[in-house]
Amino acid sequence: MKYFFYWGCSLDGGSGANFKVSIESICRYLGIEIVEIDDWNCCGASISYAGANDLEVKILNARNFALAEAKGSYDIIAPCSSCYIQMNKFNHEYNGDEVVNSNINEILSEGGLKYTGRLRVRHIQDFLFNDVGINKIKEKVKKPLHGLKVAGYVGCQTVRPYGEYDSVEKPAVQDYILEALGAEAVLFPKKINCCGSGIFLPEMDLCLPLVKDILDDAINNGAELISTVCPMCAMNLEMYQGKINEKYNTKYDIPVVYLTQLIAIAFGMDLKKDAALNYNFIPPEGILLNAIGH
Amino acid sequence: MSDNVRYEPTFAKEVFKNVDFGEKIKMCMQCGICSASCPLKDEMDYSPRNIFTMIRAGKRDEVLKSMAIMLCTSCYSCKVRCPRSIPVVDIMHGLAHYSINLGSIPRKDTANFGVEFWKQIYKLGRIDEKDLPRKYFFVDGMIDGIKNSIQMVDMGLIMLLHHRMKLMPEKKIKGIKSLRKMLDKASAMGKGGAKA
Repeated sequence: MKYFFYWGCSLDGGSGANFKVSIESICRYLGIEIVEIDDWNCCGASISYAGANDLEVKILNARNFALAEAKGSYDIIAPCSSCYIQMNKFNHEYNGDEVVNSNINEILSEGGLKYTGRLRVRHIQDFLFNDVGINKIKEKVKKPLHGLKVAGYVGCQTVRPYGEYDSVEKPAVQDYILEALGAEAVLFPKKINCCGSGIFLPEMDLCLPLVKDILDDAINNGAELISTVCPMCAMNLEMYQGKINEKYNTKYDIPVVYLTQLIAIAFGMDLKKDAALNYNFIPPEGILLNAIGH
Repeated sequence: MSDNVRYEPTFAKEVFKNVDFGEKIKMCMQCGICSASCPLKDEMDYSPRNIFTMIRAGKRDEVLKSMAIMLCTSCYSCKVRCPRSIPVVDIMHGLAHYSINLGSIPRKDTANFGVEFWKQIYKLGRIDEKDLPRKYFFVDGMIDGIKNSIQMVDMGLIMLLHHRMKLMPEKKIKGIKSLRKMLDKASAMGKGGAKA
């Protein structure tokens, strides 16, 4: 199996670096070939609308699609939820609106590029659940995460607004994957609550309570660890626990890892080299070594 | 005379013309599910549903200076739940963009952060995660910048030590000139008015 991987700015050596390392590891293990999109640009995620209109953001995505299409017709996997939604929004509107379509084509031609609208964008969870499949994942597990209590945090842009592979209100795919790894996916009603996303930094006072709510829900339901599939969620949930503790006089210290890091560990891969656990701010090694029986 | 608000379509027409997805406001039936779904609704001066009504009532200044249009976390709950399929989130983004272009600056810090975010995409073709907060912290000048940076320096160090920040600055993409040419054309062809 061959796929384009659109890494995006966060995974490419940024805050989502451990997400990228673990994805590359599990793809290697599963025999998935990763095709890069050469000279890709930012998807215009987060808060770029402050400085750009919708057509400008669309052009960013159009260029990436055009570059990919010139190289092949594989599905594009966008691990970052913000990239996923920007690319998906582009495709929906490009293929569903004649005016958008002709405007984009006119502008693309100025840059000597062309896109036909045929490439599909997929979320990493969609790829794991529907293409790799639960049975294959179970088969490949060498070190099950015995009884590890995980709160699978889905976030917003992972499933909303199109809900192409999971429910927008009660998503379950991440929990199925966690259980295939031998972990216990705890009840976690706030798994689709927003963490503050791209405005977290400038609006920290308003967004800290959002994260606190999510952490409380995970911990109160017995989670020892939170898993996620979005670099923004990972950053906001992990990095700011100290700030929350300062503000609320609390003692949050719960590790937040990428789902793909857990998969790499359950596949029996190296905790550092393959799962990049040393990239995490709140060390998850103790809990995970305990789960895999070391 | 009562305080009843009357329809005053001048501003609504301006919104339909200049704000991305603005014409979709026509579909709103004021059910309020967007507001009920919004994670930051309690922090806003006006809820998204109120913003839509105010646009119809011609409350131009109140809408364009409202912090609500700059407080969208892009969670997409409103867009998913709207029974009339209005892309509420996209309209809020469009309003924020239009307001900033007109110089209204609805919520200074967040607006500055967003504008810096876009400038960096235009300059490099990508986002440099370490450079972005730095630019944003120094937007009010040197002294505030140093104060802001000191508050966050511990976090930057932690990220660097955990391989989650590049030491070297992000380079421009190879096709940056052609990308900028296309973006300039999109800026002129799209909605949002001239850049301030």
